[in-house]
Amino acid sequence: MHEPTDERLIQSTLAGDDEAFASLVRRYRARVFGIAGRFARGDHELDDLCQEIFIKTYRNLGKYRADAPFEHWLSRIAVRACYDLLRKTRRERGYLPLEGIDVVAAERGDGRAARELLDWALARVSPEERLVITLLEIEEKTVREIAGLTGWSESNVKVRAFRARQRLKEVLEASHER
Amino acid sequence: MNDEQLNKLFQAARAKPDTSRVEYGFETRLLARLRTDETPWFALAWKLVPVFVAVVVSLGAWNYAGTTDLPMAGNADDSTLAAYLTGGRL
Repeated sequence: MHEPTDERLIQSTLAGDDEAFASLVRRYRARVFGIAGRFARGDHELDDLCQEIFIKTYRNLGKYRADAPFEHWLSRIAVRACYDLLRKTRRERGYLPLEGIDVVAAERGDGRAARELLDWALARVSPEERLVITLLEIEEKTVREIAGLTGWSESNVKVRAFRARQRLKEVLEASHER
Repeated sequence: MNDEQLNKLFQAARAKPDTSRVEYGFETRLLARLRTDETPWFALAWKLVPVFVAVVVSLGAWNYAGTTDLPMAGNADDSTLAAYLTGGRL
């Protein structure tokens, strides 16, 4: 049996079928969690953020024009929600302590320690810098994809990425001095 | 820190974080929230409160303006004049 297309599920959702929306959520849940998981701190924030993303999607479903795949449209909503979260929680994130993070293990290539050290360093750069570094260097998106996701121009993405990298290096160098 | 060290750090951090615990039962929680978030009629009534207040204030103002426009003061003046002319007998 064929799976219903995204368009079909969207039409059904707009006609009031919540189960059709649940099917859409199941189809793209991993994608949204993959993006949000890079920015949320802990399970609770991740759950809230993903719910926020799908609620925005549900409420704006009528505005979706099928000129781009639904997945791209949803990813844009997800990236914008993550960016909003970074801006809202910027001050709190700055208090993340360096103590307890194994800097040596992180630099040796230990995944968990590397993520913790990067989290600490990324909490000390601007939300724009954090977003661009995460999408470019960790999610390995292209400049064009990032431009599509954020609404920034490609040259703007390049400039922000360059500055973000420089800033991150400074922050990480400072962590060595501690 | 040089570029090579930074790239190594990025590479180590690329592994997808495990989100399976939060994904469990996600649709159920989401649909429940969507259903409770749908705007009930009494929430709309609350949104109309400023309109009701504006209507009440306008009616009050109109009523006040209407009462002060009535020739009350004129009547009072006439009564005083009549009392004076009739030697206090009205």
